[in-house]
Amino acid sequence: MAITKENVLKTATKLSASDILDGKVHTVKWTPNLKYAWDNGPAIGRYLAELKNGRIIAKRCNQCHRTMIPPRMFCELCWRPSDEWVYVQDTGIVNTWVVSHVDWKAGRLDIEGGVRPFTPAVIEIDGASKGMGILHHLNEVDPWKIHRGMKVKAVWKPAEERTGAITDILYFKPME
Amino acid sequence: MALIERFQKTNDVTFWEGQIPMSYIYTVGRAGEKFFQELRQGRIFGARCKSCNLTYVPPRIYCEKCFARLEDSYLDVGTRGTVETFTVCYEKFDGSRKETPSLLAVIRIDGTDGGLVHYLGEVDPGQVVIGLPVEAVFQPTDDRLGGVLDIKYFRPFK
Repeated sequence: MAITKENVLKTATKLSASDILDGKVHTVKWTPNLKYAWDNGPAIGRYLAELKNGRIIAKRCNQCHRTMIPPRMFCELCWRPSDEWVYVQDTGIVNTWVVSHVDWKAGRLDIEGGVRPFTPAVIEIDGASKGMGILHHLNEVDPWKIHRGMKVKAVWKPAEERTGAITDILYFKPME
Repeated sequence: MALIERFQKTNDVTFWEGQIPMSYIYTVGRAGEKFFQELRQGRIFGARCKSCNLTYVPPRIYCEKCFARLEDSYLDVGTRGTVETFTVCYEKFDGSRKETPSLLAVIRIDGTDGGLVHYLGEVDPGQVVIGLPVEAVFQPTDDRLGGVLDIKYFRPFK
């Protein structure tokens, strides 16, 4: 059969969403259980465990002398196992940031209605090598006064509420 | 050290759990729609390709051999068939033991080249043989949902 407009219209099934949702045509409905568990590994595992203790831990490479945060078990520059575990500060400087007017579900935030924009930022952690940082939120700051190099400090969850997750730090706030 | 650092206790192994939300609705297609509508009426339908001399059960919208359109050649193929192959199943889906085994069979619908995977009923496992003539037993009309279980099972007929 030749592929012509007439033939395509003859074969195409014109179903609307309501035909399906109102049960006018036979359907199979299913929700597969897509549950997963992702192994944290030794480096991120210890990093998260230390967050629960209210500390940030990094890892050193004694060949390139970098202190890497988040910690990793190998140095990707020297291509060798990394060395000591070292605690770093819970302070740092803003490396880069964004003032976001959309939420996690890509819905628009009601900024005119007084909702504060999200301000995710990469924070270079004091004690880690220059340029090494983590992605987190900024808060207790006017979104439009955030600037590169601004000194910030972690605001932790109360110890009893910590679960060993990056959200054990609520956000970073300016040090002034 | 480092890469040869190992977890000494399984309790030290941590992991991050998540669940990906996903659900789907699959339409059964044009031929499937015809098949299940007719099944609900207590009939089994197929589709016939005259040039290939093939009768498909369940029906197809086109012939798999010559690609001819078959939507004008749907036909009632009756409710009788023959056991093509079967298994006696003693396990439930979770692997636990069933008290009474269920019988699963591929039933070739008589006069066709297709068939259905379905249950056998009203028969002892020891009596089932390949080639056993069987017929479909439908659910009561009010209990039919437009699924393959609108047929309760196939049972031997004399």
